[in-house]
Amino acid sequence: MALHAEDRRSALARIVFGALGLIAAGLAGLVGLVASPKTSTPSRQWRRAVSIFDLPPGQPMAAVLVDRTQDGWYATSKQQVVFIDREGQGYKALSATCQHLGCRVHFDVAKQQYLCPCHGGVYDRQGRVLAGPPPRPLQTLRVRVNENTSDIEVEL
Amino acid sequence: MNPAGPGTWRRVADWIDDRTGFRKIRDFIYDEPLPPGTGWWFTLGSVLLFGLGLQTVTGVALALYYAPTPDHAWDSIRFITTAVRAGAFLRGLHHWGASLIVIVAVLHLVRVVAFGSYRKPRELNWVVGVLLLLVILAFGLTGYLLPWDQRAYWATVVTINVSKLTPVAGEWVAALLRGGSDIGALTLTRWYATHVLVLPVILAVLVAFHLYLLRRHGISGPIPVGSTGSRGSTGSTGSRSSASSVREPVEPGEPVELVEPVEPEVFFPHQAARDVTMSIVAGIALAVLAWKGAPALTPPADPSSSDYVPRPEWYYSGLFQLLKYFPGRLEVIGALVVPGIAVTALLLLPWLDRAANRTVRSRRVLLSGFGAALATVIVLTILGTLDRPADAGDRWNVRELAGVTLMTSGDRCRKCHIAGGIAPALEAGRITGTQTWLANHVADPEVVGPGVREAPAVDEQDLAAMLAALAHLRSTAPPALDPSSQALMTLVNRQCLKCHRIDGVGGTQGPDLSHAGRKLDAPTIARRIANPKAVKADSEMTAFADKMSPQEIQTIADWLALKK
Repeated sequence: MALHAEDRRSALARIVFGALGLIAAGLAGLVGLVASPKTSTPSRQWRRAVSIFDLPPGQPMAAVLVDRTQDGWYATSKQQVVFIDREGQGYKALSATCQHLGCRVHFDVAKQQYLCPCHGGVYDRQGRVLAGPPPRPLQTLRVRVNENTSDIEVEL
Repeated sequence: MNPAGPGTWRRVADWIDDRTGFRKIRDFIYDEPLPPGTGWWFTLGSVLLFGLGLQTVTGVALALYYAPTPDHAWDSIRFITTAVRAGAFLRGLHHWGASLIVIVAVLHLVRVVAFGSYRKPRELNWVVGVLLLLVILAFGLTGYLLPWDQRAYWATVVTINVSKLTPVAGEWVAALLRGGSDIGALTLTRWYATHVLVLPVILAVLVAFHLYLLRRHGISGPIPVGSTGSRGSTGSTGSRSSASSVREPVEPGEPVELVEPVEPEVFFPHQAARDVTMSIVAGIALAVLAWKGAPALTPPADPSSSDYVPRPEWYYSGLFQLLKYFPGRLEVIGALVVPGIAVTALLLLPWLDRAANRTVRSRRVLLSGFGAALATVIVLTILGTLDRPADAGDRWNVRELAGVTLMTSGDRCRKCHIAGGIAPALEAGRITGTQTWLANHVADPEVVGPGVREAPAVDEQDLAAMLAALAHLRSTAPPALDPSSQALMTLVNRQCLKCHRIDGVGGTQGPDLSHAGRKLDAPTIARRIANPKAVKADSEMTAFADKMSPQEIQTIADWLALKK
């Protein structure tokens, strides 16, 4: 009789803890689902940078590309600066983002170099590192010329 | 309790117990003495604890995404329901969880009154319980504003106007609730802070005190069987001794059922199992309700649209109904005096009860009074809930449909407004510009983006249609139309609505055509459109024979003839 009661007791205890465990697990699962971040890599697309007629001779031209992005419920725009340059018969596009820590480089016409104002990174006109801390050359972006509009387009 | 666990586990547990004494705390919880007969009625408090815990967890999860600013509150809630994984379910749980808590809290209160558990020595715990009920209602009130949709905004306008009825300090109280001179950003942050910071702290303190007092005096248990003369438990000894002494003292000479001596009953595991069972039942009910999410958002709060008829959440609809019986200067009675008296009476209940013991018979008068009050609240709540504004439905009228067609056909708008384009896609809920801004934008896109588009080649009627469609797009997506209906809608909008009214939109120079089919058949209508004077000599209507093709006139006539 006493043993019977003891069995019943421990069985009930197990049920209670099992049920509490289920509730906790369900809630943890829900919160886990909700809280886990959603990240996605935006698909690349061709964006108009400059018209070939606007490109000055003898130096690259900075083009500011504005991207509308959806940041959660918040619509915002992201600016990206690219340098468009002639290269042989064609064109070349370099991202203006320094490969060291992400500052924006500018082109020094006299020196014919890209200079980073943050930690003194120096790149040549092809984007190769000449001095300073940058670990790799400026990122080269794919370019194409839209025959209909005579616009230089960059893939971002 | 066996410390359990083989070897290592046991040593770890022993070490933790030595440093913290957790087994003593555990045993204190497990061995809570219960009077005999404690059963399912005594699980309501635990279900409430479960509900409050659930609201805390779901509330924190919602706060990961919610932005308490008028600019983004509505958008963030929309984001939660549409883009966050399980977000709609989460919001559903939080929404219905609030209702569950109110229902269970009231049941708990009714149980305490019915069993006379508020009586000496538990008066203070009763007071704490009533305060907890008020805190719960405050949670509901503050949470209602947070989605910042029309329903939330206009219900809060009403709440704040009611607060102005407070004697002497009315304006001050209203200003305190508003935070600024108008309901707006400052109100939203204030109510948010109250909902997620202030009230939870108050709730936690009161719940802790409630549980402390519960253990100090023990559970009252059911009304003792066979007793008519009990004076209620008289001391605070109940919880500290065996179940036999928890049993209420019985007047000498009264017949008493002889009960076999039983082992003193304790909380764990039997009552714990009942508590958990009830919590799970409540949890399943909630999950079922939440499966379809919370009620849909209404359009974003718009202080300039005064035609929205607000309704409170159901547990406030009793108060809302009460207000209607006290018009004009008497309003303060319905808004503050009656609820104030009710709350005061509730708080003073233990001292209003002069009965000799807690049997139903000796508390007849008090219980009848309480029952009448409760019935009144329930009836008022039902009446208030039934009084819903006439559902205008969400039909798109001719003009709006024409506007949608104009905006989505060709690349007038879709040159920029497409998914992945440089401007937001034309999608329900994404249109956030003011009416004036939108009017400028539609009429002359140069205002917004010079060089983006050629000068607009739209006439006045098309413009009005697009603006109407944009207004409706704020809240709901338009129905899909087949190409022929699309053409018909644009045609009717352009040719008829300038002078005629159809389904509430259009000009007033000509007769209302909403029920044109009642008087005229299609051929007659077609003839009147083509050449009005041929049918009716004194007609002032322009002839359309040279403005539309016979085919177009026929389509319009067929459509109008169907409008009975």
